[in-house]
Amino acid sequence: MAELQGLGAALSEAERAGVEILAVSPDPNERSQKLADGLRLGYRFLSDRDLAVARRYGLVHPRGGPSGEDVPRPATVVVDRDGVVRWVSISSNFQVRPDPTEVLRAVRAL
Amino acid sequence: MTSTWLVILSLAIALGAPVAYALLLRVPVVRNHPEGYVVAFAVAAALAGFAVARARTRRWPAWTALALTSLLLIGGAWFNFVGAQVPRTPTALRVGERAPDFTLTDAAGRPASLADYRGQKPVVLIFYRGYW
Repeated sequence: MAELQGLGAALSEAERAGVEILAVSPDPNERSQKLADGLRLGYRFLSDRDLAVARRYGLVHPRGGPSGEDVPRPATVVVDRDGVVRWVSISSNFQVRPDPTEVLRAVRAL
Repeated sequence: MTSTWLVILSLAIALGAPVAYALLLRVPVVRNHPEGYVVAFAVAAALAGFAVARARTRRWPAWTALALTSLLLIGGAWFNFVGAQVPRTPTALRVGERAPDFTLTDAAGRPASLADYRGQKPVVLIFYRGYW
């Protein structure tokens, strides 16, 4: 979950207040809560158990999980105040995540 | 360099690279170049090969190192260049278009919709595979 920590650390306090970071995964809520407590980043962790949202966004990696289950494709999306997509990064290798400074630049450009 | 030292160096690189990668996952430059550990395995395998060539009497440590580093190289290369690749399927995301709305529950059990933030503040959506 290193990529989650990076973005939180890159944002100043004022910026943290001005942007909402929603972290979406198929994890159950209890597990996300444990992660949230551990990271203390103020993100909202949302549970997309059946990948309904990942599917709607076209972000499903079929049979990509460790036991052959469908998993989300790692992706970061910046949505502006009007609900319009302004910046998207989708990993083509699941080890690779956007550099937090790139995400930050996209947020600051809004 | 003697065969023994080449074996030690080879194993140190082969075992140190994945440990260093895991420890430095928070550093984007390291994290986003996973091919680095594959290169390290290749260097380690090459050093083990030299160790085999240089060994005079006791040859098994060099052969063992060569076998181990070759396995790591094959396994690491497969994982990075095949196993970890994500198929480039079309997404519903277009820059300049409205993000599809959704409602999910957060870790505290409260419902959260993307629409809640409309007119309020920008949102960064991070889709991740889960915390295994």
